[in-house]
Amino acid sequence: MKNTQITIILVALSFLLILGFSVQTIAGETYKMGLSLAITGPTSDAGNPYSKGAEDYVKYVNDEKLLGDDKLVCFIRDDAYKTETTKRNLEDFLDEDIVFYLNYSTGSTMALKQDFEEEKIPVLPASFHAGNLIDSNYIFLPIASYSSQAVGLAEYVAANHKGSGKPKVALFLHPSAFGRGPLGDVKKAIDVGLGIDLVEVVEHGKDLDNTAMLKRLKSKGVQYVISQTVQPPVATMLKGAQSLGMIASTYGEAGKITFLGCHYAGGPDLVGLAGSAAENYYWTTSYKLMTAKGPGTDAQFALAKRYGRDDKLANSPNYTNGIMVVQVAVEAMRRAKSKGKKVTRASLYEEMLAMNGYNAYYPLTTVGPVTFSKDDREGVDTLQLYVAKDGVFHGVGLPFVSEYVQKIK
Amino acid sequence: MSENRWLATGNFFTSYKAEQRIFLTHIDRVVFIGFLVLMFVWPLIFEVSNKYMLVIDSILIAIIAVYGLNLLTGFAGLISIGHAAFVGVGAYTVATFAQVLGSNHVLLTHYWPLMIVLAGCVGALVGGIVGLPSLRLKHLYLVIATLSFQMIFQWAINFSKFFDQGQTIAIGRVFWFTGKVVRKQHYFFWYYVILVFVVVLGFAVRNLLRTKHGRCLVAVRDNDRAADAMGIHPGFTKVYAFALSGFFAGVAGALHAYMWRGVGFESFMLHHSISYLAMAIVGGLGTLMGSFFGPVAILMLDLQVENLAEFVGHYFTAVGDVATALRPLSFGLIIVLFLMFEPRGIANWWRIIRTYFKLWPFRY
Repeated sequence: MKNTQITIILVALSFLLILGFSVQTIAGETYKMGLSLAITGPTSDAGNPYSKGAEDYVKYVNDEKLLGDDKLVCFIRDDAYKTETTKRNLEDFLDEDIVFYLNYSTGSTMALKQDFEEEKIPVLPASFHAGNLIDSNYIFLPIASYSSQAVGLAEYVAANHKGSGKPKVALFLHPSAFGRGPLGDVKKAIDVGLGIDLVEVVEHGKDLDNTAMLKRLKSKGVQYVISQTVQPPVATMLKGAQSLGMIASTYGEAGKITFLGCHYAGGPDLVGLAGSAAENYYWTTSYKLMTAKGPGTDAQFALAKRYGRDDKLANSPNYTNGIMVVQVAVEAMRRAKSKGKKVTRASLYEEMLAMNGYNAYYPLTTVGPVTFSKDDREGVDTLQLYVAKDGVFHGVGLPFVSEYVQKIK
Repeated sequence: MSENRWLATGNFFTSYKAEQRIFLTHIDRVVFIGFLVLMFVWPLIFEVSNKYMLVIDSILIAIIAVYGLNLLTGFAGLISIGHAAFVGVGAYTVATFAQVLGSNHVLLTHYWPLMIVLAGCVGALVGGIVGLPSLRLKHLYLVIATLSFQMIFQWAINFSKFFDQGQTIAIGRVFWFTGKVVRKQHYFFWYYVILVFVVVLGFAVRNLLRTKHGRCLVAVRDNDRAADAMGIHPGFTKVYAFALSGFFAGVAGALHAYMWRGVGFESFMLHHSISYLAMAIVGGLGTLMGSFFGPVAILMLDLQVENLAEFVGHYFTAVGDVATALRPLSFGLIIVLFLMFEPRGIANWWRIIRTYFKLWPFRY
């Protein structure tokens, strides 16, 4: 009797044990990603909402089972905008066997290129520097490069200039690879016929007063300033221009300067920094803006609300930025799974390269489709122009693709 | 000194030679050898992730850089806040070869020990040149001269097309007798290379301080007029101190370039110079042991504060940027606290512990 009881208990225990293992197998796989970015330190004003966007979308993917029974894990680490810390974070992620990596700054993306090549891991950085793609096969830019943005703005200036002769343009750049990136391409575009006169290129410092620079630009007849930098120096420049009465109240107003900027040189945070001086500031990005109501922005607001984020964060284009890069990575995973492939670095890389033509990816967060191929690793080629009116950025016209970028490629 | 070198207690020497011994007792020697064996053996026993090997390698490189700064500031009394630029000179010497010959040229990948020594020599040359103002300048004025060098270095790299305006210049993978040092072995390999440099250069410093060439540094620091009266050339000694410091910094820079597999100017900024100075102060200025303790303490503190800042950053989103402020705050605080309460640095704690065991079991 006793032996029978023991046998029954043992059989039951074995059954439970087998069941336990089976449940584990049914529970699906875990795919790991890494994100290293500036949550503190320089540019953390952009990095912080970016990290929240990525974090929330990962939660959403798991909560809504967008990858079926499989689970997505994204390690998010602060690098305080230091390349050395980014490298340390990357090593940590690689030890964790990540299949996809999200990077942040231009400097660290350029510095870690050879690591990405050796590890053969697809990478989406927050930096849209065209130089990231040189001598690299695994880096993908989420949206149009800074060069494409600056050339696109210059094209807009050339096409919409009201005065006689070529419009006189100055570039206001961050003193780094991030800022200098578009300069060469703007010059190339001018060489192949872009109708602007590039009067001066300014690399800004940390000055709190730009009066001398602005007066110099004015004396040279500059009518348009295109900025490729971060928001604080642009805000300083705009405040200076406002106090000197130099800001054009309408696009291209004669005798005044119209200010324009690329992705990180504008957005709602600029209005917060520059106040009324940001009025009539023209800004371009490939992301949809929260002021433009539609399914994409509704979804973003819903996501932010679902995970308890405040309005400021929900409205940030960098929150959108963070969501979008995870969206692209998840889409690659989803496609690999649907083809019966195992989700690995190699299969995700293949899926990224196949994201074009009929297979282009249309996330709700961007103004155009994400397209990648072996020869083109710039994601969303389409740009949208926005202008600040009454403290809010509004879309100007329809999304466009830079014509001269195609010519100089 | 006691005849029995195992049981010697206290400080009793019968000759200058005895006082200048590297190891005062056999126990010192045994403990040192044991520690050295431990340093060489532990990576073979314990598996450490690349992340932590990277941190350990960085600490060892900082030790070499601080050797140089300690010679200059601790022993020769010449304060420098341009030490990161000297380290940068070493790193950019390697980068220059990479730019001219290509990052995978045989000179860089096969003759890397030669490159490291060459980078040290270039560092010494630049150190000597930058040290020239020390012939005329002292104290704060000399500090400003070294600060100027730091600024000139940063500006020159940031605007030099040859150096890609400060962007990272890649350095190829090196070769060893077993072939190419691949990614898996990278940090492990460089741990041993850097450790060998730490040991060899550590002995070099220790021996230097036993010779007239080392003692002249201390003599000039304590009283340059008295040193002059004793036949030491104060001006030459100061320039020589800068060159010596530059050599160590140059070697550290080259090791940095190889270990990180690239050279970017953001690793050699003013705040790095201040960090090196903090390492020397916290470790203990004018002591060889201080060169070990300082980098370990500062870099480990930095790592811990980094984790804390990240944790805080997740909860205080950009409001007042509390998280960003934590790092400079803790860094500044630790220097101030050491200057106020332990100006002789961690090396002094080490001295107290050693003294206790030296006198044990007797108490005075």
